[in-house]
Amino acid sequence: MDVLLGITGKDFVIVAASKAAMRGPTVLKADDDKTRQLNKSTIMAFTGEAGDTVQFAEYIQANIQLYTMRNDTELGPAAVANFVRGELARSLRSRNPYTVNLLLGGMDPISNKPSLYWVDYLASLAQVPYAAHGYAQYYCLSTLDKHHHPDISLEQGLKILEMCTDELKRRLPIDFKGVLVKVVTKDGVEILDYDNDKIVKSA
Amino acid sequence: MTSFGRYTSAETVGYSFSQPTSAPNKEHSFYPYTDNGGSTLGISGSDFAILAGDTRSVAGYNINSRYVPKVFKIGGDDESGDGAHILLSVVGFAADGQALKERLDAVVKMYKYQHGKPMSVRACAQRLSTILYQKRFFPYYVHAILAGLDEEGKGALYSYDPVGSYEREQCRAAGSAASLIMPFLDNQVNFKNQYIPGSGEGHALEPKKAEPLPRETVEQLVRDAFTSAVERHIEVGDGLQMMVITKSGIEEIYSPLKKD
Amino acid sequence: MDKLVAQYSRPRHQDEFYSEQEQRDLTESHPSISLKFDLPPLENPSAFLRAMTDDHSNPSCPIKLAHGTTTLAFRFQGGIIVATDSRATAGNWIASQTVKKVIPVSRLSRGEDTQTDAPVPGLLGTMAGGAADCQYWLRYLSQQCTLHEIRHKRRITVAAASKILANLTYAYKNMGLSMGTMLAGMTPQEGPALYYIDSDGTRLPGNLFCVGSGQTFAYGVLDAQYRYDLTEEEALELGRRSILAAMHRDAYSGGFINLYHVKEEGWVHHGFSDMNPIFWKTKLEKGEFSNVTSEL
Repeated sequence: MDVLLGITGKDFVIVAASKAAMRGPTVLKADDDKTRQLNKSTIMAFTGEAGDTVQFAEYIQANIQLYTMRNDTELGPAAVANFVRGELARSLRSRNPYTVNLLLGGMDPISNKPSLYWVDYLASLAQVPYAAHGYAQYYCLSTLDKHHHPDISLEQGLKILEMCTDELKRRLPIDFKGVLVKVVTKDGVEILDYDNDKIVKSA
Repeated sequence: MTSFGRYTSAETVGYSFSQPTSAPNKEHSFYPYTDNGGSTLGISGSDFAILAGDTRSVAGYNINSRYVPKVFKIGGDDESGDGAHILLSVVGFAADGQALKERLDAVVKMYKYQHGKPMSVRACAQRLSTILYQKRFFPYYVHAILAGLDEEGKGALYSYDPVGSYEREQCRAAGSAASLIMPFLDNQVNFKNQYIPGSGEGHALEPKKAEPLPRETVEQLVRDAFTSAVERHIEVGDGLQMMVITKSGIEEIYSPLKKD
Repeated sequence: MDKLVAQYSRPRHQDEFYSEQEQRDLTESHPSISLKFDLPPLENPSAFLRAMTDDHSNPSCPIKLAHGTTTLAFRFQGGIIVATDSRATAGNWIASQTVKKVIPVSRLSRGEDTQTDAPVPGLLGTMAGGAADCQYWLRYLSQQCTLHEIRHKRRITVAAASKILANLTYAYKNMGLSMGTMLAGMTPQEGPALYYIDSDGTRLPGNLFCVGSGQTFAYGVLDAQYRYDLTEEEALELGRRSILAAMHRDAYSGGFINLYHVKEEGWVHHGFSDMNPIFWKTKLEKGEFSNVTSEL
């Protein structure tokens, strides 16, 4: 029931993740952060098996930072994505694999091009202009198909994100407590002030 | 004498008169169907309709007969079926097919006696749907195709699912080789994915319009469809039974297919 | 014990032939109006039916029924838009790409084959779930609506028609019927009226419904731009675009876009159009579907 959304634009990537941490019928936490920053210009959002998610994300985070320290270079999003996929694929063939679904958003430090990667727990990797995980796929992909263009501005991107979260509020039977929105630009990663209190009326 | 856990038979207990009182009539899983294989195919034209089927009958990997017809005349006068003006093909479970054919035949005959005129194909198509749906909770395991000529004399073809949803179409293949034959028919009868050469580039290419085919072409398509299906499907073969309905009546053509 | 006695006290051969009533039913050229269905000789017919036909719980079931759909309908200032795809699937097999999933209800004399541009009076029903269930019961509903018209000298309201259908599906609850249908119509008493009825027995009036495996994708597009005061042209385009979205993302939906508009005078058909050219037109002219590449 977790929501992960990613949208790329002209010079940014938006990554949004729902703020509810749920276990069974209980919401344990209403301001959970399901993202980790991997280096200066890449972030990763994750959902999946409880425990696996944070363990895997922080393991990846540590290794990416280790690489940065050792080589004094930032890995680009493509390199990060393929590294993550490789780790997930290796884990998949182990005795207890990580069950995590991911979105990776980043700006290439050299070309300043935004990119978004969709990764699932079976280590499928795909570069996409917009992506979703979980139930959000069913409700938001059609909206994104219609309204997304590759060269949108950040404001337009946020407007499309709002259309998506509005639809989820309207149709999802469980309250996901709003989304935490992070944006990657050439200046790095930033948390955006996002209005989650808007009340959406159904038709 | 109740037993827990494992089933104990009367022999192990040792009473010669003992009756298994606690074991009710055990109902083995009820499976009243079998798939007798084979394939059928129908195509309609501007003034005719063709219904065809192979004549092999199988049960599992056994070929039980090389001549069991799947296409029937409906509403004819006697066993010969003379005077019939509707065709029905059934594929799937042969016994259900037989029952369905006999039921529809009786209905079409009764209609003629009660109303003093033959049943239209449109009415017969609707009636077949309700007959199939009468057994919604205990279905006939068949895929039926109905053919005839409509009020305007055009070829009419109706296809059915096992519980009676139906649709009028230009062509339809049913049975085990449907997945082999239907794509061929889409391309050759409805001209799907065929474009007019030189009409444009890329998306501007104009699709070729489907129009009713002449009888010779359709007959050849049917033969080609079946000879090809025989090569790639184990349940299809032995003989091809083709029935052609025109305003002058029904013509039956039999031609042999490979028998391996 | 009584059960055993009952089982054996009746001569077995009695069952071997058709009873007089059964013989009559067999040869009757008109189907009986009374709702009698053959049942398998078992304690639990619906479990049998599920084992034979439900490919969701039993992928190797012998009888594959047609399934899978996207249908939508919404009310707006100018009436009701009804739109559907046209694909029927049996497992992974595409059984048909040309299914008519909008079924005119009431006025049996004006069958579905008549082709006119003038509005046709009557209700529209949509078809999701079992194809045969929807076709049969909407036809049954047509009978009842026509009878209502003859008895009361006025057209049936959508509320009443939908109640007939809902009572019917509720009577057959848990017997294995599968249908999710919408009834749309405009009557002087109600104005534009839209109802959702399904095989659980649910009956809901509403402004906007999407039904079928592709429903969420259609909702995604429809909800974002839906307003009651849409113009007729905007409404038709939104209906078309929502079905296109579902066809693109849901593998069980596809084929042709079937579009209807219900107005005061009756319903008008706005085409049965192939989705492929519409998709490429939408992509290339409006720049939508940017996840699809048109060149290598």
